[in-house]
Amino acid sequence: MSSISILLLAPFLTAALIFILRRMSGFLAVFGVAISLVVALDLLAASFDGAPFVQLILPGLPDMPLRLLVTPLTSIFSALVALVATFVVLYAISYMRNDPEKPRFFGTLLLFVTAMQALVLAGDWITLLAAWELIGFSSYLLIGFWHDRPGVAGAATRAFLYTRTADLGLYIGIFILIGAARSSDISETLAITGPTATLAGILLLIAAIGKSAQMPLYDWLQRAMAGPTPVSALLHSATLVAAGAILLIRSAPMLSPETLFVIGIIGGVTAVLTGMMALAEKDLKRMLAASTSSQYGLMLLAIGAGAPVAALLHLVAHAVIKSSLFLGAGVFQHDRDSTELANLEGAGRVRPLIYAGFAISALALAGLPPLSGFFSKDAIIAASLEASGALWLVPLALAATVLTGAYMARALRLLWAGASERLPTVSVGWMGAGITVLVILAGVLGGFFPAMEELLDVPLPVSPLAMGLGLAAAFSGLILGWRVPVATLLGPVRSWAQDGFAIAGGFDILVLRPVMAISAVCERFDRVLYECILGIGKFNLRLGRGSRKSDEQGIDAAIFGFVQSTIDAGGRVRRLQSGFIHRELAVTTIGIAVIIVILIAAPLYF
Amino acid sequence: MLPLLSIAVFLPLLGALVLMVLPRKTSGLVHGVSITTTGLTFLVTLIIWNRGIEPGTFAQIEEISWIPAIGAAYRLGIDGLSLPLILLTSLLFFLSSIYSARVSERPAVYVVLMLMLETASIGTFAALDALLFYVFFEVSLVSMYFMIVGWGYEDRQRAALMFFLYTLLGSLPLLLAILGMFLGSDPYTFDMRTWIDTPPLSGLAAMLALIAMVFTFAVKTPVFPVHTWLPAAHVQAPTVGSVILAGVMLKFGTYGLVRFALQMTPDAFRDAGYVILAFGVFSALYGAFVALAQTDLKKLIAYTSVNHMGYVVMGVAVAALTLDPKIRTVALDGATLQMISHGLVTGALFFLVGMLQDRAHTRDMGEFGGLLKVVPILGWAFVISAFASLGLPGLAHFPAEFQIFLATLSTSPWAIAAILAIVVTAGLYLRAISRVFMGEAGEKWLSMPDLDRRELLVIGPLLILIVVVGVAPSWVLDMIHTTMAALKF
Repeated sequence: MSSISILLLAPFLTAALIFILRRMSGFLAVFGVAISLVVALDLLAASFDGAPFVQLILPGLPDMPLRLLVTPLTSIFSALVALVATFVVLYAISYMRNDPEKPRFFGTLLLFVTAMQALVLAGDWITLLAAWELIGFSSYLLIGFWHDRPGVAGAATRAFLYTRTADLGLYIGIFILIGAARSSDISETLAITGPTATLAGILLLIAAIGKSAQMPLYDWLQRAMAGPTPVSALLHSATLVAAGAILLIRSAPMLSPETLFVIGIIGGVTAVLTGMMALAEKDLKRMLAASTSSQYGLMLLAIGAGAPVAALLHLVAHAVIKSSLFLGAGVFQHDRDSTELANLEGAGRVRPLIYAGFAISALALAGLPPLSGFFSKDAIIAASLEASGALWLVPLALAATVLTGAYMARALRLLWAGASERLPTVSVGWMGAGITVLVILAGVLGGFFPAMEELLDVPLPVSPLAMGLGLAAAFSGLILGWRVPVATLLGPVRSWAQDGFAIAGGFDILVLRPVMAISAVCERFDRVLYECILGIGKFNLRLGRGSRKSDEQGIDAAIFGFVQSTIDAGGRVRRLQSGFIHRELAVTTIGIAVIIVILIAAPLYF
Repeated sequence: MLPLLSIAVFLPLLGALVLMVLPRKTSGLVHGVSITTTGLTFLVTLIIWNRGIEPGTFAQIEEISWIPAIGAAYRLGIDGLSLPLILLTSLLFFLSSIYSARVSERPAVYVVLMLMLETASIGTFAALDALLFYVFFEVSLVSMYFMIVGWGYEDRQRAALMFFLYTLLGSLPLLLAILGMFLGSDPYTFDMRTWIDTPPLSGLAAMLALIAMVFTFAVKTPVFPVHTWLPAAHVQAPTVGSVILAGVMLKFGTYGLVRFALQMTPDAFRDAGYVILAFGVFSALYGAFVALAQTDLKKLIAYTSVNHMGYVVMGVAVAALTLDPKIRTVALDGATLQMISHGLVTGALFFLVGMLQDRAHTRDMGEFGGLLKVVPILGWAFVISAFASLGLPGLAHFPAEFQIFLATLSTSPWAIAAILAIVVTAGLYLRAISRVFMGEAGEKWLSMPDLDRRELLVIGPLLILIVVVGVAPSWVLDMIHTTMAALKF
């Protein structure tokens, strides 16, 4: 239990220290991740020795505590994250040497590492969801690190929004799982079956599509290359994008055959489409990003074929391979101040050692023995041969393998070819150290795979046919990429591939415009409502004025009119008092006569 | 035993009276009195919190006979719903009075109005007598009206008038409902505890009372379509006015929705539950979409309030509809926690936009750019608050929204459509951050000063609380859960 605490607290407290002290941030950062690496490797070794599961429980919501769990599976992921993080941070010390905002960089990077460790060790859905979103947040902060440069804010925003939208699948899937299992514990929810499991599986797949940059949500990863290269190496090749695959690997026991088929198809199609995009790319980092989507497509294909362990091995191999490729690209970027392949021609020739490392990793990715990528590719192809959907999955897997060889060979060719001008070279410092270790791992990690299989107690699919097909595909891909120009290989599809296979203008047209249109309609409606309320107010003012008018011209007029007529009547009656004696006598006489008549007549009637 | 609730309610008013009799009202003295008074009130509420509450009933009751002939008494008491709201109120007023130290235009009147408002606010939450509740409820409108008219921005006269008349008119149905329940109770009483334990009305009378109460609280919360007073009032109000309006006064509506509508007419609420839920869902979505169309920062945050309060209404409606007591508790826990989170987060956002407006004299997003390099503390505080508002885990709104959505999906799956608003909210905040804080800084902003010590004192505690509530909500949820788990209807 305390090991898990140290594993998470080391990077977190180091991040806090960096933000407060703002000095020696690079070395503090390496120190922090190194501690967590030691603990992670220790936990992994303990898993190998058969130690019981380690757990850490924290208070969360009522009846839903937060749980962190060390099992053989999670300890592998944890060690992987710590490993890649340590050497990327080491590399970043030299890469970010001249940047004025190093503390913010290393602090945010360490916060990311903490969140990622929490994600891989999550034992309950709330922890997983929280960590999932927090790695997205750190990714936003890191892609947007150079936020005053043009285009960066847009790239960071796009990355966050794409993944946040896909995360709705994770939210709803989790609610369904918790509701069905009456518990937020992941292992308890994995026992669910039936249509609930299929629905939850599809929703989790949607979230994985977002995070692992699968079809159709891969564009954000391309644009995320606007961030610093260590960020691309750590987050956008080995860890953050791995979260989608990790989610599916962990929930594999629950996934129904229908869901698995969909996962396999989506993975396979993504692998081929993004492989073609990588082949057509003009920028080295963007090519590596497309390659990342493609490799994760292969992992999803493996999960869909029913062999999540093959996906796991490929995830591990790909993490070290791709991060070392990115780190190499970063060195070339420093030399030429650009990542466009046109500007990088011959950059490899000037730095033969770095180029050699880059080439080893490239060949490992293509799948040449005895490098690590060979074993994992082999397992994936074998799994696809055994799968129920083999008819679809095998061609997709093989095509992706060919494309992998092709684009890696093309990159190698472009980096080597060109004029051999001897440019003065700056020492690579820690960058070299970081790259070296990762390349060595890319080479030898295959040797650990049997131990991992034994640890997980899951058999790996093997077949000689798969080995043969895989090697054939890899070699043909490499030769095609090295010898044949891209225009010939892709033909008419090339410009569409360069556009990222955008349909109808892409998400900007399909999603952003309708949303902004709805927003504008709502705003106009709100104005109408506001005017209505003001209209009610004006109507009441008019009522008030109307009632004042009826008061003044109606009632007051009536009363004053009555007063006036009374005065007029008085004026007329006044004339009776004329003062003329004959008239007075006449009035008196008539009056007396009337009275006498009344007095005589009255008793006769009443 | 000191009557701490009454002290908490009337201490600000006492401070205001002291201020009114002071001979020389210099700005420094006035703000000193205000900070002292609100600080003491905050301390008193902390002691009240320490004294604790009990499940299933109200605690720390203080009762004085007022109008015995009609059963109206001066009754105060708290439970897990009102206690966190009272704490939030006293905190926000304390921070507001620190922020207001910069007000140099007629400071005495300003402070008196603010202290009056604090009395009315705490009184509303603590009242256990319906008539007393109504008095406090309405008095708050007066203070806010004068604050907007006296210290607001360009269109303040119309906005303040609309705010006052709209919410006053909206409150009249509540008065009718209160009178209706008074006449239905046997013996005649205004005691809210009696009305909760034995609901006085049933059948058609209860439904009519419910409609009346829901109308009033819908205007106050605000819920679509009776929300249009909110953006106008928020934009024109001075910074502290916006903070209190969003952080405290909107909670009168949601508090009343739970306390009156849900607890006193539960069967009618259940019958009307789907309608209320639909309004909540639509309000949440509508608020987010309209916020997306705004370029005025204050109006943008105002509309996100409509969105967040929509979630609260959803939570309360789901709590009424569900038959499972565990889900009901989760929904009410989430709704109440959302009220608290919203007070903290939107309070912080309005403070920050106010600080920005003080420096730049504009609120339009288009005029800014690249401010993260010029005013980093303000910028990063805004980034954290914005991500809290869009529901990032680890920050305030997430635990509440998680609980509300979990309960909603388990009860009325169609209502989960409201979760789309989360993405719209993310989009609008990211756009605001990218336009205002990222990119190249314009010439005219390069000399903008960053937050000074007073402003840090105001925003710091809010940011810390936002993180604490997000990471470890249990210290707030415990008191809420104590009451919500023991509710019986």
